[in-house]
Amino acid sequence: MSIKDKYAIVGVGYTPQGRIEGRTELSFHLEAIINAIDDAGLTKEDIDGLICYRHFPPASDSYDVTPYMVAQHLGITPAYISQDAN
Amino acid sequence: MLESGFCKYVVISYGHNAVSSDSMTTMLMTLGQDEEAFGHFGATGSYALAAQRAMYEFNTGPETWKHIAVGQRKWANLNPLAMTYNRTMSYDDYMNARWLVEPFRLFDNCLVSDGGRAYIVTSAERARDLKHRPVIIAGLGQHNPADFPQSATFLAGPTGAQIAGEAALRMAGITRDDIDACQIYDCFTYTVEITLQDYGFFKPGEGTDWFQGGTIEPGGSMPVNTSGGQLSEAYFMGLTPITEGVMQLMGRCGERQLGPQTGTKAPENILCSDNGGILQCNTTIILRRA
Repeated sequence: MSIKDKYAIVGVGYTPQGRIEGRTELSFHLEAIINAIDDAGLTKEDIDGLICYRHFPPASDSYDVTPYMVAQHLGITPAYISQDAN
Repeated sequence: MLESGFCKYVVISYGHNAVSSDSMTTMLMTLGQDEEAFGHFGATGSYALAAQRAMYEFNTGPETWKHIAVGQRKWANLNPLAMTYNRTMSYDDYMNARWLVEPFRLFDNCLVSDGGRAYIVTSAERARDLKHRPVIIAGLGQHNPADFPQSATFLAGPTGAQIAGEAALRMAGITRDDIDACQIYDCFTYTVEITLQDYGFFKPGEGTDWFQGGTIEPGGSMPVNTSGGQLSEAYFMGLTPITEGVMQLMGRCGERQLGPQTGTKAPENILCSDNGGILQCNTTIILRRA
């Protein structure tokens, strides 16, 4: 069974990019997601799946960002949640 | 999970404070497990090993890679969001840059970026009622052929791009000739070469000729990494290439928009890639204009 043409990408979220001092990884996840939701014309309540892309180790003064953390800070409770592997 | 009906709208996100934290130092000191003791640090060291082997096996090198670095920079110079928007690059700039890990000079390496990126996937049916013209996922392929370079039995390809690319084209029901542009995961210039080579755009070692004359640049016959990519826009893992493919097909790319204004074909199909580990896996996705 092929999924050809059955799914589509409907929104993209950007954040400031380059050298942006004083920001956590988590804050960039949240900003990008909120902007993607706005871009698609959805609300956060519509989001029922969350995948955090693979990532590098956290900074020594921080913690590993998990999709659970991202969901909680967004105020959503997705049916499906995952962290992509490297 | 969309196919099973488990979810209706899935968001995929990435975020990193790579420039303004010490995260990348941790990566450098831990990626090679114990090999740091022997001077082998991070992803640059591993990709440099693979590239060195490719130079020996099919005669590639800086004369090929300079076209990738300079070509992508020309796209970044059309993208106000790109970290290098205001910095042009000549072939001399590329060649005169310092070594990071030989055979890679500074501009063979991707950028390190603070920031994030996200996108949303839903069914083609739901997509029709939303704000933008949707971008259809026409084909997908993935292949995982290799171990880490230190223990891999081959280093100079074929990478996962070969089989993943064939699978994605097969699913989409098109051929390579139907692809109008590519957004290739470009942690290093060489990654772009080996990936396009394994997709079959040119034969091993013929990249030098293929890239010459501005093939991947504005005005070229096969635009590649039209935001500037990870080499010249910003590094957000596989989300740099795929989101640019989406924005191009939605027609939202301003000065760098593919079509008459950049002397390129208005795109119907864009091939996007991601590559994980050290050339160990490849995911290929073919996006189509709705």
